[in-house]
Amino acid sequence: MRQPTRAFVSVRRFIAFGVAIVVIFSTLTARLYDLEIVRGDYYHQLSEQNRIVRLPVPAERGGIVDRNGYVLARNIPGFAISVIPVDLSRTREDELSQRLASLLDLPSDAIGDVIRAQRIRNPYEPVRISKTPVPREIALVVTERAELFPGVRVDPESIRFYVDGTLYAPVIGYTGPITEQELAKLKDSGYLPDDDVGRTGIEDVYEQFLRGTYGWREIERDAAQREIKTLALQRATVGNTVSLTIDDRLQKLLDAELRKGVDEDKFTQAVGVAMNPQNGEILAMVSIPGYDNNMFARGISTAELAALNADDRHPLVNKAIGDRYPAGSTFKMVTGLSALSAGTATRDTVVNVSASSFSVSGTTFYDWRAHGSLDFVHGFAHSSDIYFYTLAAGTPFAPNVHGVGPDAIAKYARMLGFGAPTGIDLPGEDGGIMPDPQWKIATFDEPWTIGNTYQEAIGQGFVAVTPLQLLNAYASVANGGTLWQPHLLKQVTDAAGKTLPIPQWTSQKLDMTQENLRLIREAARRVVTIGHAYMPNLKIPIAGKTGTAEFGASAGKDSAGRNKLGFHNWFVSFVPQADNTDPTAQIAMAIFTYDSSKSLCELCLNPAVGMTQRILEQYLGPKK
Amino acid sequence: MTLPRPATPLHDRPAPRRWTQIDPILLIVTLLLIGYGLVMTYSTTAETRTFTGDPMQFVIRGAIWAAVGMAAMAAIALFDYAWLGAFAPLLYVFMLGLLSVVLAIGSSSLGAQRSVNIGGLSFQFSEVAKVLMIIVLAKFFADRRASIGSPLTMLLGLALLAPAVLLVYRQPDLGTSLVFIAIFFGIAFLAGARIWQLVALVAIAAASFPLVWALLKDYQRARLSAFLDPYSDPQGAGWNIIQSLIAVGSGGATGKGLTAGTQSPLGYLPIAESDFVFSGLAEDLGFAGAVILFALYIVLLVAALRVALRAKDPFGMLIGGGVATMLVFQILVNVGMAISLMPVTGIPLPFISHGGSSLVSVCFALGVLQSVSMRREPEGP
Repeated sequence: MRQPTRAFVSVRRFIAFGVAIVVIFSTLTARLYDLEIVRGDYYHQLSEQNRIVRLPVPAERGGIVDRNGYVLARNIPGFAISVIPVDLSRTREDELSQRLASLLDLPSDAIGDVIRAQRIRNPYEPVRISKTPVPREIALVVTERAELFPGVRVDPESIRFYVDGTLYAPVIGYTGPITEQELAKLKDSGYLPDDDVGRTGIEDVYEQFLRGTYGWREIERDAAQREIKTLALQRATVGNTVSLTIDDRLQKLLDAELRKGVDEDKFTQAVGVAMNPQNGEILAMVSIPGYDNNMFARGISTAELAALNADDRHPLVNKAIGDRYPAGSTFKMVTGLSALSAGTATRDTVVNVSASSFSVSGTTFYDWRAHGSLDFVHGFAHSSDIYFYTLAAGTPFAPNVHGVGPDAIAKYARMLGFGAPTGIDLPGEDGGIMPDPQWKIATFDEPWTIGNTYQEAIGQGFVAVTPLQLLNAYASVANGGTLWQPHLLKQVTDAAGKTLPIPQWTSQKLDMTQENLRLIREAARRVVTIGHAYMPNLKIPIAGKTGTAEFGASAGKDSAGRNKLGFHNWFVSFVPQADNTDPTAQIAMAIFTYDSSKSLCELCLNPAVGMTQRILEQYLGPKK
Repeated sequence: MTLPRPATPLHDRPAPRRWTQIDPILLIVTLLLIGYGLVMTYSTTAETRTFTGDPMQFVIRGAIWAAVGMAAMAAIALFDYAWLGAFAPLLYVFMLGLLSVVLAIGSSSLGAQRSVNIGGLSFQFSEVAKVLMIIVLAKFFADRRASIGSPLTMLLGLALLAPAVLLVYRQPDLGTSLVFIAIFFGIAFLAGARIWQLVALVAIAAASFPLVWALLKDYQRARLSAFLDPYSDPQGAGWNIIQSLIAVGSGGATGKGLTAGTQSPLGYLPIAESDFVFSGLAEDLGFAGAVILFALYIVLLVAALRVALRAKDPFGMLIGGGVATMLVFQILVNVGMAISLMPVTGIPLPFISHGGSSLVSVCFALGVLQSVSMRREPEGP
């Protein structure tokens, strides 16, 4: 129908236009075919993943109890405070931040930052403001005065509660928010960014037992992450109950005595550890001063933490395992066993301590008195320094006695567990120092001197031990020659009451004769009956050894004006079943007191001796 | 040779209106597409209904707009389109006025100032401005057939186009300003402009891309980057693209069923009833639903081009070409965006996107087409 007047129509251009339309729709159709037909299943799956999400249902952490089921750590209901930005008008943001800041003891600009960040990220999703569970009273303030807290949400969340906070803090430790590095490692085990993990102590070591099995909820959600409905549910399983070898009764007896001593200013720091020598179970472990682990559970403030860190008595350190001290005369057991085992001495080796001092190449070495003639038992019972100098390195008092030497002492000391961690199931254990001539060259680039051997013989000089190492060594003597791996874990029980497998505890046989071990037990008993640690009206056959080490003013003063290294008092004891030398002891205990305020006072009573008697008599005596 | 003087109703007897020459196919496919649009409004607003109480409010509103659109289509078809040509300069000024009003008093939504509220209703003037631009450019090129090859004609045409494009771009509405440019190219092409001139314009545009990039707003740059690689920012600029692909792909061959889609009611698909309506359609009705829609579109476009081919004068022909260009460009960009063949821009899908201004404007454009159709020379014996 083309006519001359319609020459304005360019048919070719219309055809080109039509071709363009065909190309466009073919392209769109081809792409749609690929998306919907070829890859439809894949995208269908993605749309389901979008819509359906599996949310974790947190599980309660398991409880911690003592050997008799007395509860040491449990959970009490607490609350989480969150803010939903969309429900909070921008104009009230600052006001709310300040109110929450004073309520939760957090910086208000930090709260404001969190809310603003969430407003950009997803204003419909609540963002958690409280770092740790909030107690009921504070949650009530928020819910009852809701008009003052716009957009604030309160959700239940459990809070860890330590029944006897300070008493068990060094052992149990505490939990805290997981760090990013930990999360990276633990994500595959089901840990979530908001989770708490054991930070130290039993909470840390037995995290795997205590943490519950999280459940999940499958929900349908919209793009704003709002929950539409629950599609499926798998309930969470509460964590296992961890039973410790601790006996709460002994722990409290020990704590009461040590605390009394601190209160009466007899000493400033104290450690008490008790164990069953027959199996390595720790029955009590007290470290004073300590801290209240509930402070961490409810969220420790910066000021509180700074105060704990600034205290030079190190309240955050479990001093039974985490600090090393000179062993003092308690170490004579090691010197003696070394000489006996190496054959350089017997029970009949006699040293005539005719003077209270002697000099070797210009250095004078002292005893606390001129004892006269001493055999092994009496040398030990009266804690004669010169007797043990002689066994270690020889002295002019007994020319025919050859010293056993520092290498042998080091060898037997290491056999008894010194110089290495005991392997107790707690973090932060110190290995102490067990020196020998090679060690001195490597450390100080100086040769070993006979003076070093003398000092070592009486637990001074380079030797440094933890209270637990010392206790464990005495326990191995008390049980007839087995060095156990000390441990706190007795049993793990799941929610259904079933006992779960726990680690096998290791033990090592001492390469020492029964006869020599019996001699030490006999001598230790004599310490109490005739010697250094007199216990009036003693009702049970306690055996043990005292120790005193002194630094005096030589190490300088601390911030409170006290001598930096004061003097130490030890008493390490064990109690056989009957008053004989058989290896039947069911309890061994080490008490260590540390006084940085006084200088050495030789005639003062070693406070550890009296405390040991009172504690063990009450614990082992007839129950009221 | 003297060219026939351009027809104007001021000098000539008005062309006789012939009801019998209404394009029936164009009319029927228009009604079908309006119906399809209402169905999709029903489907994509299903979840919103449960929140707002009034279960059918979006559908009712859509139906009212459809009625208004059809009335506008009928009314404009009654008038001789030659009048539109006669008043083209006035229409041009009116159009620029509308676009300036948007900038001056428009209300913002999603960071753009695109609509004007009058009596509780919001109007997107740029939608009707597109149709006015078609008329103005059609008139311009129809009157300059003699000098169509001259670069001056091209430059004058561009000078007409530029203020409108800039005003729309300032809103900011990059998508609609691109529609204006597409209309220019479509009309110039069918008017017989030199191909090399059109190619040169495209080349200049491409060469000036770095400059344009610098002028783009941050969000526009982010959208372009996201188009090239949505997964570089899956929670941010890439989110819409990824979620749209998921919606489309998960529809499969026949879709999840009306209102049964999950992507849009749960909010994964943003602006599901307008910009991303095609994704919702593909999710609910699948490949089949999309192909049916394409078929309707192709019939509509062919009918529009047929009206253009049979128009009695160049003005009518170029109106037809301009309307077809506008429709095909919007379809290409909107659908292309939903299936990640095009970057994200807020251009409505004709008839299907929920929105009165868009629907009434398209109806208005098709009414002009019917007017052209009704006034063509009768078929030869």
